[in-house]
Amino acid sequence: MTRQGPFRKIFIANRGEIACRAIRPCRELGIRAVVGYSDCDELSLHVKLADEGVRLGPSPASMSYLDIEAVLRAAKDSGCDAIFPGYGFLAENPDFAEAVDREGMVFIGPSARVMRILGDKISARKALSASGVPVTPGLTDVEDADQVIKFGDRVGWPVIIKATAGGGGKGMQKVASPYEVEEKLEAARSVAEKAFGKDTVYVEKFIEGGRHIEFQFLADRYGRVIHLGERECSIQRHHQKLVEEAPSSLLTPEVRKKMGDVVVRAMKDIGYETAGTLEFLVDRAGKFYALEVNTRIQVEHTVTEMISGFDIIRKMYKIAAGERLSLAQEDVFLRGHAIQCRINAEDPKNGFAPSFGRISFLRQISGPFIRTESGIYQGWQVPPFYDSLLAKICSVGKDRKTAIERMRRALREYEIWGVKTTIPLLRRIMDHPDFVKGEIHTGFIEQNIAGLTEYVEAEEEIFKLARFVAEVSAFGRNIHGA
Amino acid sequence: MRGSLAKRGTKKFLKSLRESGEVFYTNTGPRDTGQSDFKNRFTLHDMAMLVPLYNETGYFSVEVHGGARFHQDLLNNKIDPFEEADLWARRMPNVLTQTLIRSTNVWGYRMYPRNVVRLAVRAFLPAIDVWRCFDFLNYIPNMAPIAEEVLAGGKIFEPAISFTESPECSDAYYLRTVREIVAMCGGTGGIILCIKDMAGVGSPERIKRLVDAILQKYPGLVIQYHRHATDGLAIPAMAAAAAGGARLFDVTDDAFSRFYGHVPVRPLTRYLRELGYSVRLDMSRASEASDAVRGFIRNYDKFESQYKGFSHDVTDHRMPGGAFPSSFEQAEKGGFLELMPDILKGMAYGNRIIKYFDVTPGSQITWTTWAGIIQRLHKEGGSNSVRKLFQALDRYFHAGERLEALTQADEHMLLRLFSGATDDLKNLLLGKYGPLPFGWPKDWVYRSAFGDGWEERVKSERIESSPLARLADEELEKSRKAMEDELGRPATDEEFILYLMHPKAAVDFLKFRKDYGDTTNLPTSVWFRGLRRPGDSVSIPLDGKPHEIKLVSIGEGVGGVKHVVLSVDNIMHVFPVELPEAALARKAVRKATPAVKGEIGSPVTGTVWRIGTKDRVLKAGDRVKRGEEVMNIEVMKTENAVKSPMAGVIQEICIKVNERVEEGQLLAVVAPAGE
Repeated sequence: MTRQGPFRKIFIANRGEIACRAIRPCRELGIRAVVGYSDCDELSLHVKLADEGVRLGPSPASMSYLDIEAVLRAAKDSGCDAIFPGYGFLAENPDFAEAVDREGMVFIGPSARVMRILGDKISARKALSASGVPVTPGLTDVEDADQVIKFGDRVGWPVIIKATAGGGGKGMQKVASPYEVEEKLEAARSVAEKAFGKDTVYVEKFIEGGRHIEFQFLADRYGRVIHLGERECSIQRHHQKLVEEAPSSLLTPEVRKKMGDVVVRAMKDIGYETAGTLEFLVDRAGKFYALEVNTRIQVEHTVTEMISGFDIIRKMYKIAAGERLSLAQEDVFLRGHAIQCRINAEDPKNGFAPSFGRISFLRQISGPFIRTESGIYQGWQVPPFYDSLLAKICSVGKDRKTAIERMRRALREYEIWGVKTTIPLLRRIMDHPDFVKGEIHTGFIEQNIAGLTEYVEAEEEIFKLARFVAEVSAFGRNIHGA
Repeated sequence: MRGSLAKRGTKKFLKSLRESGEVFYTNTGPRDTGQSDFKNRFTLHDMAMLVPLYNETGYFSVEVHGGARFHQDLLNNKIDPFEEADLWARRMPNVLTQTLIRSTNVWGYRMYPRNVVRLAVRAFLPAIDVWRCFDFLNYIPNMAPIAEEVLAGGKIFEPAISFTESPECSDAYYLRTVREIVAMCGGTGGIILCIKDMAGVGSPERIKRLVDAILQKYPGLVIQYHRHATDGLAIPAMAAAAAGGARLFDVTDDAFSRFYGHVPVRPLTRYLRELGYSVRLDMSRASEASDAVRGFIRNYDKFESQYKGFSHDVTDHRMPGGAFPSSFEQAEKGGFLELMPDILKGMAYGNRIIKYFDVTPGSQITWTTWAGIIQRLHKEGGSNSVRKLFQALDRYFHAGERLEALTQADEHMLLRLFSGATDDLKNLLLGKYGPLPFGWPKDWVYRSAFGDGWEERVKSERIESSPLARLADEELEKSRKAMEDELGRPATDEEFILYLMHPKAAVDFLKFRKDYGDTTNLPTSVWFRGLRRPGDSVSIPLDGKPHEIKLVSIGEGVGGVKHVVLSVDNIMHVFPVELPEAALARKAVRKATPAVKGEIGSPVTGTVWRIGTKDRVLKAGDRVKRGEEVMNIEVMKTENAVKSPMAGVIQEICIKVNERVEEGQLLAVVAPAGE
């Protein structure tokens, strides 16, 4: 349903840091924010920040945040006129977007039609190539291993298998040689089935040492499209981004303009509305290939905001409410450099195994030119049911060096106890000479994993002593030294 | 002192000490007195209060390290012996630091190969200035590697002769021993000779005669008299030693002084001064230190002996100062405290049957042997049996130690005497510690300890030469790897030394440190008892920054867990503390041993959703390839494959599908087999 005039009440169909983030522009614009929550999220921060909360169902996502019926009912019963899906969960589900529309509410995102084209990787590749966007050599109708082997032999190894309905790197399998095809194909299909309910996959040539660069764009329903420059997301592990920055140290103004033009043209052709991202892989020779379009807000949108001065989610609310994008491309000035680090509840020393438990201590950070987006507070229990992203911190400076220095300072101050996090790993990354020089690529973490995880987990000494004091006090005697 | 020792070298340093004509002291409070009367439980927090006072008191040295304290530090005190030694060395520059090293046993309870001995000594050379070294057999070759390292390191080597009173321990015997020592150390100029009267048994006249005899022969020697107070004659014995020419004495702070440790410093000083000796001591500082001790000594009440008081019968049973009170503790724990008089009496007989010196490890051997014998006899026929044994032993000695002169019943009783011999006793009898100082015991002792075939054992196994020379070097890299496997991280050189001395205690200590941090920062009362009442707090400085831990509440134990709420730097934290019973029950979850290759542990905490793969369900008895997926664990929607570390056959699958597993939990056991 299309609409004119501002929203009165928005339902935030998400949780964690992005739900908290999405509530904030609501408050600025005088819109009431309603959130849904699962049982284990009753006491979570997004519920505390919202104006109203509605129970969606039990803790597993399939019975709460992914339950379309439950979300629609919650939004409707609470009198919302729009739904903001965030990222993950139902954000890229065209059936959901359609259902929202059917219920007389506005889905804050692209139309189901656009999502269908771009959400399926195969049709997205077709649509993008049609608009003149270069794409990697790929194999779209994968039936058996032989086909993949032939493809690999033709374009050169390695290749990468991806889920057609995928996202977030889940189920991606890099295949280095024909001998691995069978095993990896099966694994990719199994994960795709599990994660997305659809086991179809496609294969692309793997770009070695490639850099992950993506363009943020905004489009209104009146055909105006602008881009807000690129982000570099090459610091990732198993396709899960960990550090993002803007701009990329790789792009010259000319290449930036060239890629931006390609993005704007393609989105106009497709008839895109709201914010989105076109992801590219840039090879060593500077050639770029489109990877996919993310038809939603992205985790790393913050770095673009920090250098462009625009609140992208606020813009999404306005665009969805039918406002015209008043900006022209010439009005977009990108200033300085921003870096974002993702604080995940994972143990980098133990293969990034998820970690959950009670956050026994939290020292949030602030100070000049630092921004935190988080969904956590001290005493909160990190539930085992969802994505492990706890918080994001963002630094900005006049150049990359200053932004790195500020990020180091922020990471030094940030303390989360009770769960293992990526903080110590991020500290190591910020100190790594290659990162400092900007010599990064998507294999950076895997290549340097030994050194990057060579930190001592400095649970603060006083907290260890307190644990001891607690034990001795509980027993009234020292069971270690008596 | 330390500066002067380093600048002038050992020989010149000792020469000026000799020529000063003064009497000097070693304060044994922190180590030997602490061991003898307080089971070595002094905390660094309390010791740190004494450091600046000792530094100004005029002591020659303070015994801060060694003996059983090393083990006790790791086991119970959770103190790093390196950090402890360093604290004293750094903050007490006017006084030398001293250790006690048990020849080949170093600071442990077994004989270490030479490379380990040398490594351990070298590691502590920077922090320790005076190395008092004894051997319970007075077998001097056992001291050689230590002597070489210490002398080469420019520190003072202090060989000790283990002293007791017995017919064999004549002046001639000790002079022979001293001669060996002097030969080993290349003269008398670089060493201090210690007469180690560890039980406190020497009569004043005996001590005076011995010191005099040694100095007649070696006038250049500096002699230290180490004396425990057990028999009640320590102060006159000290004065007698001074009259004989000894220049160094072991003392302790007045408030540390009990019954099994050392003499109080101020009365001894007053007495020696009255006798005309010039004593190096600042009495008022000594008084301040004693006051400081009085301020904290009650923390250690419960570690004092079950029985307190001088025990002149030590001259018969000869239990050393450290072992005597702890034998009461062991007897109480073992429920045979009432047998102590008989055990001590038995030990007195034992000393006449197998002759060595009752000091570590000999004292432990004597104690275990006789505690065992007396308990056995009591079980068999009460105190009557014990009395019968003692009567038989009286007749044996009366008959000139001839078994054949006894009745068959007596002979039978004696032949049963050592039937429960421990391995340590057997090793002692086989010369594994070194030759016994006064020859091997009579054949019947071997017959009793080894039973049938004893002659063969003696012939094939008894060593007449240096056991140390026969002991192969430790494979250090292998040991280090074993340690690091247990620890799960690389070890530092110092940590490795701790491990070489006490493998289990060292690993446990390092794990404790990882979990609880450096607890030596805690005040002693908090260390032993925690915070008692809500509102009680403790301030702890770390890196010069104050921190505060305050008790808010202690919950009732519910479901095996007590919730303790603390305010840590003004922020409330809830600590669920598992009660010991609950912890025991929880340990029932089987953990994989990382060192055992076939035990597959869970890499994560999660849910096992598949055993085997999509195509192949695995069960016990199935063959797996190396790297083959054995099961898969789901955590937060990610799959975690668990692969077999080797080709083999699955022996056991320890979990079920959809079972929730903890990190490290044993999932399966694979036995090696070809592909």
